[in-house]
Amino acid sequence: MRRLRRFVLPSFVGAAYLFLYLPIIVLVIFSFNNAQGTYNWHGFTTKWYVALFHSEEILMVLKNSLIVAFCSTFLSLVLGVMVVYAFKELLDRLAGLFYIPILVPEIVLSVGFLYLFSFFNIPLGLPTLIVAHTLLGLAFSVPLIHARFSEMDSNVIEASMDLGASGWQTFVRIVLPFLTPSLLSAGLLSWIISFDDFLISFFCAGSSSQTLPLYIYAMIRSGVSPVINALSTIMLVLSCLLVLIYSSIKFQSKDIV
Amino acid sequence: MRTIKEAIVDRIDYFLSLPAFIWQVLFLWIPLTIIIVASFYSRSAGLTFSFYRELFTGAHARILMRSLVLAFCNALACLIVSYPIVYFISFRASRWKGLLVFLLTLPFWVNFLVHAYSWFFILERNGLLNKVLLSLHVISDPIHIINSLKAVAIVMFHAYLPYMILPLYIIFEKFDLRLIEASMDLGANRRETFWRVTFPLTLSGAKLGFFLVMGMSFGEYVIPQLMIGDKTFFVGTLISEYFILSRQFAVGSAFTCLSALVLFVLTLFVFIGFRALKKGVR
Repeated sequence: MRRLRRFVLPSFVGAAYLFLYLPIIVLVIFSFNNAQGTYNWHGFTTKWYVALFHSEEILMVLKNSLIVAFCSTFLSLVLGVMVVYAFKELLDRLAGLFYIPILVPEIVLSVGFLYLFSFFNIPLGLPTLIVAHTLLGLAFSVPLIHARFSEMDSNVIEASMDLGASGWQTFVRIVLPFLTPSLLSAGLLSWIISFDDFLISFFCAGSSSQTLPLYIYAMIRSGVSPVINALSTIMLVLSCLLVLIYSSIKFQSKDIV
Repeated sequence: MRTIKEAIVDRIDYFLSLPAFIWQVLFLWIPLTIIIVASFYSRSAGLTFSFYRELFTGAHARILMRSLVLAFCNALACLIVSYPIVYFISFRASRWKGLLVFLLTLPFWVNFLVHAYSWFFILERNGLLNKVLLSLHVISDPIHIINSLKAVAIVMFHAYLPYMILPLYIIFEKFDLRLIEASMDLGANRRETFWRVTFPLTLSGAKLGFFLVMGMSFGEYVIPQLMIGDKTFFVGTLISEYFILSRQFAVGSAFTCLSALVLFVLTLFVFIGFRALKKGVR
């Protein structure tokens, strides 16, 4: 009885992991299925991947997604560093303010954006998306960069100034290198949040500028297709790579501190 | 004589920090204000409660209740399942810990749509679940899961489980194992140690995860839309119906405010519940 009980917890955890990963594994397997719109196995093929890379539509929406993700990441990092560098003391108390976009339900945020843009007659498109995603990006970049900056010894900055460096030189040579790990992890987070975001894009992308998640959503609604599986599999592999990069960055930054 | 340039350099702090704050005000506070104002005010009628009055129907109450129950049950189910998992990873998994934690962070980076879509292959009429159950002779006819509340609940649970596990894991990592030793040394048995030391000290992580999962499930749009379609509405799907399809912005805002209020009240109750739980175990 005792020995039996020792196996209860591990097998429960095993079952939970199976539950977490089973759908994804099945999804990947079916991306190689040699038949369309079916849940039965009809042999191995890679033709869906070939079809994927020949679809101009997908390349176009991928381009849109990449533009939005890189612009909003860049903006949220630059704005984040600016506000942290200038207002460190104030942010010790106010950093929580920047968390609010995560706490507000996403659907409320999306409605708010749509309302704002239609209120001021701003046409929906990639710029409105970049603006919206930057707000979400700031919610991650400001607290992360602030936490890193708080660990910095202020004497180092003073020493640099005393030795004759200008404010700008101190910033570029001393502060920025110190902040780099937090910039990388904040950048990765805001990038993936923007790239994966569906709901906000659904509300403020407009009809002319589709992003990858919007395109996938439209495809799913029109029926199951192995092309979506192939696309999902590629995104999965990329996500895995990103996680590996992310965890290695975190690991390294721990070493420095 | 101060030149303008000197004045700017003097106040550089303010100029540097302005964009981020402006961003917050312009794209967070103003939109939220617009939603609230628009739910009470229209150009033709002035200050009015008529938009809210339109929401006093059985259908709206049912939708709110459905989302409420789903959000609460989902958070509770996630908590009950995550707790043993995190307990195992933190205290028992010695050698496998790194891999198990890595596998837990991975789902965060997988697109939400991909998560939901993958379930079609399991839950559909000819999907994996039915095939397995049929071949094991558990059932004689395929069961219908897709396009039902069951499918929504399963996929929601699957999608939000990692959001419960991670806050819990962070708290467990901070947990000082010597406390358990101390408790045992002082004569408590395993069960007492768990309920009076481990459980109360990890409750804050459970609380955070609970609020996170409950809040996100309450307004969820993608999963109900894909799993059940327009047949059964939830808060998230109804809000987008108001704003995107029927373009009834005023009533939509009123419903958004009402839902936010309902979620707030629920959160308050859960908060009180957690407080009582903490007192109870002590």
